[in-house]
This record gives sequence, structure tokens and C-alpha cells, in this order.
Amino acid sequence: MLVDAFSVLLVDDEVEFLDTLLKRLRKRNLNVSGVHSGEQALAFLQAQPVDVVVLDVKMPGMDGLETLRAIKKSFPLIEVIMLTGHANMEVAIEGMELGAFDYLMKPMDIDELLYKLQDAYKKKALHERRIQDSVEGVLRGKR
Amino acid sequence: MSALSRVLRKWFSRKSKELSAAEAEALRAAFKARYHSFKLLLSANNKALEIMSRIEGALRGDRPFGMSFLRANCTAVSVNVFRIVQNMDQLAPGKYKDLFDRFQHIQEDINARLTRRKEPRGEVLVFPLSQVDKTMADQVGSKMANIGELHSRLHLPVPPGFVISSYAYHRFFEHNDLQMEINRRLQASEKGELDQLYSLSADIQQLIIRAQLPEDVERAIMDAHADLEKQMGRNVKVSMRSSALGEDSASTSFAGQYRSELNVSSENILQAYKEIVASKYSLQAAMYRLTRGILDEEIAMCVGCMAMVNAKSGGVTYSRNPLNIRDDSICISSVWGLPKSVVDGSVASDYFVVSRKGNQPGEIVRRDVKNKTVKFVCYPDEGVCRMDVMEEKGGEPSLTDEQILELARIAVMLEEYYGTPQDIEWAVDEEGKIVLLQCRPLTQTEGRQTEFVCTEDDVACDALLLQGDATASSGVAAGPAFVVRRNSDALLFPDGAVLVAAQALPRWAALLSRAAAVITEQGSVAGHLANVAREFGVPAVFGVQMATEKIESGVVLTVDADTRRIYRGRVESLLAKVQPSRKNLMEGSPVYEILREVSELIIPLHLLDPDSTEFKARNCRTLHDITRFCHEKSLKEMFSFGKEHHFSERASKQLVCDIPMQWWIINLDDGFREDVPGKFVHLSNISSVPMLALWEGITAIPWSGPPPVDTRGFMSVLLEASANPALDPSMPSEYANKNYFMISKNFCSLSSRFGFHFCTVEALVGERPNENYVSFNFKGGAADYGRRVRRAHLVANILEEFGFRAEVKEDAAFARLEGFEEGVMKEHLKLLGYLLMHTRQLDMVMSNDASFAQHRSKIFKDICSITDPAIIRIACAYGELEGAANELRGLL
Repeated sequence: MLVDAFSVLLVDDEVEFLDTLLKRLRKRNLNVSGVHSGEQALAFLQAQPVDVVVLDVKMPGMDGLETLRAIKKSFPLIEVIMLTGHANMEVAIEGMELGAFDYLMKPMDIDELLYKLQDAYKKKALHERRIQDSVEGVLRGKR
Repeated sequence: MSALSRVLRKWFSRKSKELSAAEAEALRAAFKARYHSFKLLLSANNKALEIMSRIEGALRGDRPFGMSFLRANCTAVSVNVFRIVQNMDQLAPGKYKDLFDRFQHIQEDINARLTRRKEPRGEVLVFPLSQVDKTMADQVGSKMANIGELHSRLHLPVPPGFVISSYAYHRFFEHNDLQMEINRRLQASEKGELDQLYSLSADIQQLIIRAQLPEDVERAIMDAHADLEKQMGRNVKVSMRSSALGEDSASTSFAGQYRSELNVSSENILQAYKEIVASKYSLQAAMYRLTRGILDEEIAMCVGCMAMVNAKSGGVTYSRNPLNIRDDSICISSVWGLPKSVVDGSVASDYFVVSRKGNQPGEIVRRDVKNKTVKFVCYPDEGVCRMDVMEEKGGEPSLTDEQILELARIAVMLEEYYGTPQDIEWAVDEEGKIVLLQCRPLTQTEGRQTEFVCTEDDVACDALLLQGDATASSGVAAGPAFVVRRNSDALLFPDGAVLVAAQALPRWAALLSRAAAVITEQGSVAGHLANVAREFGVPAVFGVQMATEKIESGVVLTVDADTRRIYRGRVESLLAKVQPSRKNLMEGSPVYEILREVSELIIPLHLLDPDSTEFKARNCRTLHDITRFCHEKSLKEMFSFGKEHHFSERASKQLVCDIPMQWWIINLDDGFREDVPGKFVHLSNISSVPMLALWEGITAIPWSGPPPVDTRGFMSVLLEASANPALDPSMPSEYANKNYFMISKNFCSLSSRFGFHFCTVEALVGERPNENYVSFNFKGGAADYGRRVRRAHLVANILEEFGFRAEVKEDAAFARLEGFEEGVMKEHLKLLGYLLMHTRQLDMVMSNDASFAQHRSKIFKDICSITDPAIIRIACAYGELEGAANELRGLL
């Protein structure tokens, strides 16, 4: 499993923050794109699904939790990491219960984010693998 | 997951020894997924423990902290414990359901304690001062409530004016959603450096100043000003003073933390209002709140606007000596012009002391008239300016005796009225009439009974460097001098240094939480810097002539504030007489109380003994309990899963080695170089980085058998063994009976039982330094309790020397090391491997101190011979650096 061969979408309405993060992650050879709202994120994923989404919690329009719900509904296998400048315990736990992989607080260490992305992707890859195996198992059983 | 476990169960129940290639592959994938969950659990476990120790540190008072620290850490610890619970459920689906329920309860409890009820507030934007009294402190701030009280109840002269209320402040903040944005910026700076804090403070203030005032607030202020004009004439100028809610309570004097504007014209009132509100986030005010644990959001800035008094003279009265709780004399500091220069300490001021006779002022007992070369006066249009004082007038007293006695009378009266000593700011107007500008409780300090006398043969006499005029804050302290001249010098101010400045400017107050002592050339003991120094218990001497020229940065000084003397070097005879009594200023503060309350749900550990029947998910009462419970259970789950099924690749194998002990190995993921079909595995096939390092230490120096034992030692072992069946080496659980390694390439968990001794080592060593850790538990052992305790201390003590964090609970030692590069972690694992083999029966010989020391030095010698001394030493140095860095970070 190639650790870094996966795609990431960053969603954050703070343009400056997003651009810096995109730049820094690309320097680490990550296949990463960025959009500015929950609505844009969903549209992006329809056209081009990714492995991991990094989602700002507080955005105008669709907020982070709504977007998370929508992503998990349409793309249940995509792993989502929540990111926030406003530590809020209730929101954090709600996000985790909705299936977020983790909840990180700004400012975060870029390496820490990178590790989280790798862990999230690995979880997704293993998950997909197991689904594939059990489907094959079922098919074999039928034969 | 449940679908998968069904498949797995099906495979297991077949008890088939042969799996098809596809099935084996699928099973391998299942193991991989399981191991990944386990790893995620461990990483969340580590993170949770790290945050808990940060919270514990804050509880001990190792750092000042604000609500953003609390919110961020409580959220982070909850998220990580939730991740632990989720991954535990992945490892054992449905088995520990109670955990979710327990977690939810605890988390809701924490949240309830964290989010406090908001105070109800009024609905009036601006109050005329004539309608204000002290019952309105929650709407106009205590400072303006007091001034209103002086006028409306005591009929003392105060300038007419109005107060912009806390409701107006909240309207202003809500209109622009300012609090949210400020909290975000504060959270972002949690790890900030000092220079970043300067710019953060400037940014937040800019944010506030640029924000729009709601229209109704604007109108209310301008209407109030128009009313004042009707009373005082057109173009009346005002002084504008902050009057924050929560300010000026007796134990937290915010004296002068915030901005005041003098002589403001009507065009600029709105701008000045925003600037004063913004000064809530001046660096010194923000640092002060942080170090005193005052809730940022609970401080609402009200602003008092009073018709400007063009003062002939002005100053501050203390109704008692602030430096000595036993001295009830009235102390008056006074200058020509506006009282501003007394408060900010920029000009030498006259000092008068009036004695007391019962409840009346007695007579003037001290007149200390200074040469006051400059004064502050109002410009005709707006603002104030510094003016030279004509020479002969500079040396004259700035008050008449009559005025001094009148001020003393007012001070005694106010003290009696409020029931506590008072700090009063006043001005004398052009007609010679006294007008009161401010009044607040005075903080007095203990003062010291004993004065140190410098006798002829005292070493201190030789070291005497300088002598000051005034004790601004009592005490003795030593440290390297640091001379501050420019604002930017503050960035470089080292912890524990002696602050040396020309003037006692309020801006230096931001450094006091880090300063050992303060020396200034000029300044008033009634000024802001002196107030804060007293509150922080930092010794301060003012009026030390030429201090900034005669003292060089870096030179170690001893400051004895009580005798106002400054000595070269550390004068131990002086320092020895003072108890180090730097207060934990956070304790008892609102923020500290919240931390204490929430930490009760986070920190205490109730589930201590995994063998106890109480060790159950539903008995978890804190986040620490859940963390501990899951860690224990996850290891067990990983172990039994590997043991119980019939997938030979993952069954336990015995290690082929020369040591006459059984070592069993379970490969969790990628711990073997290639698959091992049989029952044995060779060391050459092990790829686990931490296990190999540990093994190197285990085998480095052959164990020479038990050390020679004196008879008492041997008897003690026998007695203990026969008296305590739990020490029987044949434990019921297989897990505990042999030496078991669970490994992957980057992970290893060893649980071993050597005769009477039980230890575990757990380590993650990979490419992510911030996730690397080694933890070590050492427990049990034959011999009597006293010896076992000594052995635990010996082990903990050695590990601490090598950079571990170690603690001893009863006869068990626990140690942890984390966050280093692979190379460093490996050397420490070697060291642990060695200890594992060689300390196990030391307690037999530890009956006396001589053998204790002897064994300790042998162990040290061995360790140095088997590890890379450069790395081990570097690790210790890193540890220290890291500690120092954390401390510094904490202070910010």
C-alpha cells in the first residue's frame, strides 16, 4: 500500500488558511484540492471522489456538521477529518458520532495533519478491502 | 464489522487447518484492519494521556491558562477518549457497550461544568453619572459604580458625566460577532511565542477598533454628551476611563490595566470608546487576566465619561500604607498638573504621610517634597501635553497642608464607608477645590517585621551596589539583571530575571509574572507597576538612581526590597531568610475553579487493578478510567484473538534463543520478515524495531544469577512467598505466566513474569517521532514490602536519570518516555531490556544503603557500556530543553 498515493479535499471558507495549507501539503507530494464551502465540497465529490476530506467546522452556508452528514450519506467510505478554530466539545463529539475520523484544532502541526490523513486513508483502504473480500466470499459460497 | 466477524467465526468454527489461498488472504486483511484499529487506539490513548498530564500540570499551577486552554484541552481529551472507545468497539464489537454510555455521561458532565450560565444583564445603554450608585456595578462596572456612589450617597465632589454600560459593550460585540473571532484567534495562539502575542494583541485591538458601533449605541452616547454640554457649556471635554465588570475587586486590582483617554472632544468620543474597549486586549491586560485566571468573556468593558478637570495638582491617596498591613497612616502621592504621572510612574512625586487618631486624621508626619520638573496639562482643543515646570515651583510642595488634611479626611471617611482600605485618585481644580476621580479597594501586603541589618563584617556589605528610595513591593529575590529600554526589549526578557527600567511604566507589568524582582530609577509606589508587583509578590525597589546605567544585563543581583538595597551576586544570607512564597495566582480564580471542577471528571483513576472484579466498563467514572480500562482490554483482545484462532501464521510462536527462558511471540501485523509456518521463530526473522532494541538490552550482559543475599534477605523472600499465595509463580492466566511479545514492525508489547516479578514494556517506534513512546511498569517481587518499595524507587530513580518520566505507587514503578526519534527510542529500549534482566532480584540485597549505592553505580556503568552515550546524553539534554520550552510556552 503506497502510503501517500491518495487524494484529499480541503474544505475551508478561510481563503488564506486554505491556500497556505494546500501549498504545504502539495510540497509533501500529496494529491490535494481545495474548495471554500460545504456546497462546493459536495459538488466536487460528485465529479471527483477523494479518499479523505478535511472539513472546517464553522462555515457560512452549510456548516461542517451538515456537510459531514451529507458526505457520509452519499459517500459512506470517504473518511472525514474535522478541523476547527473554535474548540467546542458538543460539536466535536457530535461529529465523531456522525463518523468523523478525528477532530483537530487549529493551529495544528502540519506533520500531525499528514499522519492523520495517512491513518484515515489506511482505515479507508482496509475497510474497502474487507468489503471486497466478503463480497468475494459470498460469491464463492454461492458458486 | 459484524458481517466480518460472522465470516471469521465461520472460519474458526470449521476448525479447518487448511485455508484456501483466498481465504488466507482475506484473513490477513482482517488482521491488518484489526491491527490498524489497535494502533489508532494506542495513538488516541497516548494523546489522551499527554493532554491529561498537561491538565494536571495546570492544576499544580505550572502555567497560567485561560478558557481557550481549557476548552481546547477538554475537547481534545474527549475526542481522543471517544476514539479509544470507538476503536475498542472495533476490536471487540459489542463487548464493552457500557463504555459508550459511560463516556456520554462523563462528557456531558464536563460540558455542563465548562459552559457556565451567563449573567443576566440590563437594557440601558448609557447612564447619567448622577443616577449611578454602587448597586449598579454589574451594569456600569465597579469603578464607575463607586464614583457614582461618592456623588449620590456621600455628596462628595466628582465631575459630572455619564457611563456607557456593559449592555452597550455586549451590543457592540454581538453586532460584529467579535467574541467568536477573538476566541478563534486566542485558540490559534495557544502555542504562540512572545513576539506573536504582541502582534496577536495588536490584531485583536485593531479588529475591535475597526468594527462598527451599532446605531443605537452611537446615538445613546452622543445624546448623553449633548446633555452634558447643556450642563457644562458647549465643547465640554471629557476624560474617558475604563470601568470593567469584575475589575477592582479587592484581590484582583486591575489598576491601570486598561486605556484611559483624557480631554476628549465630542468628535472623538466614539473612536476613543472603541479604543478603550479594545484595550481589554492590550498585552498587559490579557497577560494579567491569563496569569490571574480571570475569564475573558466575563470582563465587559464599561466606559465612564466625566467632564475634564484642568487640574492644578493631582495624585493618589492610600487610606493605609499598602506595604504594611499594620500601618494605618494615610499616604498621599501628589504632582503638579494632572494625576496621570503619579499613576503611570513617569515623574517623581511628592509624598505625604498623615497619622490617624481614632477615626480622624491626625497630623502630617512626613513631607517628602521632590523636584517635579514636568507636569501634564490639558491642551485647549483636545489631549494632554507634558510641560516643563518652572524651576522654583518644581521644588515646592504640590499641596497645601489644608489640602493634605482634607484629602486625609476624605480617605478616612471613604474607608469607613466601604469598610476596607481605599485607593483614591483626585485632582485639585483651578479654584483649589478637591475633586474625586476614582476610588477602589486597596490591596495591602504583609510587610516584614525583621529588617536585615548590614553589619561591618557582613559579606553583603561588600556586595552592596545600589540603594533605592522606595519599597514598591516587599521581599528579597535574586536573578540576572535585564535592562529594558525599548518595548521590544520585553520580547527578550528571560524567565527569573531582575527587571531594570528607567521608569515604572505600566507596560512592564506584562513581564512581572516572569520577573524575580524589579528595579526602577523613577516611579511611584502608588503606580500601576507597583500594584501589580505587590499582587504577584515580586520584590520591587523604585527610585534607584542611575540603575539602568550602573547595572549591566546578565549580572546576577540580589534585591532586598525591604531595605531598598541591591547587591552584586547572590547574597545567600538574605535569600535564606525568605521563604520562597511565589503564590499560585491561579488558585481560587474563576478559570482555575472551572479547571478543578472539570478535571475531577478527567484525571482521577479509580480502576487500578485489572484483576479486580471492579475492573468493568460500567465502573468507569472518569476519562482516565476509560482510557486505562480500554488500554488493558485492547491488549487482552489482541492477545486472545491471536491465541485462539487456528490461523497458524498468527498463532504464538516460541522464540529460538540462548536464554534459558521461554519467550512467546504473537505477530500482530508485520512483525516477521517472512511468514513462519511452524511453532518456532528465529530472531533473524523478527523485524520489530522496538522488540529488537529491547532484546539487545536483555541479552547485552549475561545475567550472573541472583546476587549474593544476606540471610535476612533470603528469609524475607521465603516468608513472603509462603505468606502470600498471589506471589505463587504459577499464575492461573497463561498471559501472565510466560514472557509474551506482541509485535509488529513498529510496535512491541512485552509482558513478562520472572519468578516473582511482573513487568510490562510497551513501545511504538516508527517514523513519526510525535507518536513514539515507551512505557514501562515494574511490579511485585518477593521480599518484604519495604524492600520492594526501595527497589521500585531505585528503578524509577535510574529511569528518571535517563530522561524517563517515572513515578512510584506503592511497590510499583511506572515510567514513560515519548516523542523522540527512532534512534533515541531504541537506545532507551536497550536500557530497559537491561534493567528488566538485572534489577529483578535486587531487592534481596537492598537491605542497606551501601548496597543500594553499590548496585546503582554498577547499573549505571553497565548502561553506559551498552548504550550509545551520545544519544542517551542528548536525550537527557532534550528532555531538559523540552521542559524549559514548555515552561516558557506555559507562561504565554
